[in-house]
Amino acid sequence: MTAVHASAPPVLQLDRLARRRAGRTAVQDLSLALPPGQVLGLLGVNGAGKSTTLAMIAGALRPDSGAIRLNGEDFLERPELARRLIGWLPERAPVWPELTVTEHLDAHGRLRGLAATALRAARDATLARLELQPLARRLAGTLSQGQRQRLGLACALLHRPALLVLDEPANALDPVQVTVLRALIREQAAAGTAVILSTHVLVEVTAVCDRVAILHEGRLRHDGPVRADDHAALERRFFEIAMQGATPAAHAA
Amino acid sequence: MSFLAMFRLELRRLRVQALAWVPLALSLAWLGWCFTRLLGDFLAGEIQRAALPDGPGYVDLVAVPLLGQLAQLAFLVVPLLAMSTLAGERRNGTLPLLFAAGLPASRIVLGKYAVLLLWLLAWLLLTLAMPLSLAHATTPDWGKLAAATLGIALMLAALAALAVAASAFTAHPAIAAAVALLLGLALWTVNLGAQMAGIDDGAINWLAMSTHEQNLLRGLVSTADILWFVLLIAVCLALATRRLAADKERG
Repeated sequence: MTAVHASAPPVLQLDRLARRRAGRTAVQDLSLALPPGQVLGLLGVNGAGKSTTLAMIAGALRPDSGAIRLNGEDFLERPELARRLIGWLPERAPVWPELTVTEHLDAHGRLRGLAATALRAARDATLARLELQPLARRLAGTLSQGQRQRLGLACALLHRPALLVLDEPANALDPVQVTVLRALIREQAAAGTAVILSTHVLVEVTAVCDRVAILHEGRLRHDGPVRADDHAALERRFFEIAMQGATPAAHAA
Repeated sequence: MSFLAMFRLELRRLRVQALAWVPLALSLAWLGWCFTRLLGDFLAGEIQRAALPDGPGYVDLVAVPLLGQLAQLAFLVVPLLAMSTLAGERRNGTLPLLFAAGLPASRIVLGKYAVLLLWLLAWLLLTLAMPLSLAHATTPDWGKLAAATLGIALMLAALAALAVAASAFTAHPAIAAAVALLLGLALWTVNLGAQMAGIDDGAINWLAMSTHEQNLLRGLVSTADILWFVLLIAVCLALATRRLAADKERG
């Protein structure tokens, strides 16, 4: 399954990343590296710090301390690196409701610095790949949540980023679309794109990820490879971590 | 490049919003009616004015009062146009997308402000086209007209900056519009009490937008008045930029 370029320098490197949010520690002392072509699944219960971590990696949120390196360069010093290197699908795929699907892709392409010709080609290819052509002229505000999710994914993929950051990408997708999404993620990894995706669905991790990191209360509690036939072991490990500090009633359940 | 991308995105968003067109259309209809009324009064008094060697002309009696009407409407129209600029982004959850595209807060604010200015400039030019359409039949005082136009343009730019700043501090466009309207009116009338007490040259008068605007509408162009507007615009845009940057810091 893996297309990891093991000897290649990491696309993403986090060093002791920390961030407080709403008066509590959301992420603490988080360090990891992601080489090109690897799919890393970020697992954790709600509030574990997954979305905060991804928002910091995407450049939408500044860490309180620590360092983020993209292709060896300091991302916090050079936030403009996000423009070309990162594609981000945030949780709930926010859209500009008054823009059509095509206009969304055009706007994202321009924001990411694509030239007109390259943008047209990338737009058409992405619309086709994500089967969005029938929706091309629809206003984003009229799309269903699943369609918005696909549009968000299209925007993240449009400029062929070196790092794809996906926050709960399978949210609101039907089973057919979930299969398409998994194939797409593997396709991106095979092309050398590093992918980091957050989820709390364990099947998602064993289906597409090469490696899994489990966050709990903002800290990295597990980081290791994933085998497709290893679902039970991963589940056991996840629940061990997730139940740390839980009430006896939660343990019994 | 990223400024242009932001500018195009905002222009497209504004162009398809009913709230961008309806206030402009209604206000232009009102201004058209005002223009015909002012023109009627101007023509009716022409014979009496012919006896006065330095009497008021076409610009004093038609063009400047029409621009004055536009200035009054601007207090309502500008907040309506600008209320969604940043508050709408925050409400839609799209602001992080702009940060994640590597756009600094200043470029987001400037891109949005530039679109708003373009829209307001079109509004001003369409209004100005009414008195200018008959300028060939009169001998207008071009200097006075240019000063009044500059005054209105500066006032629109200042109100737009104020509204963008108000929009940067909330996720609710209606609150942004209300705050911008109140701040605009407060800035205009801040010296009302002082004037009623007969104080004409105090610091409070310098603070009031009306002091600087009325000089320009009278045809008096002074650096101090222009600087006042430029300062207000710079402060408002700096505040909006700081607030957006804080969003990225605070999350």
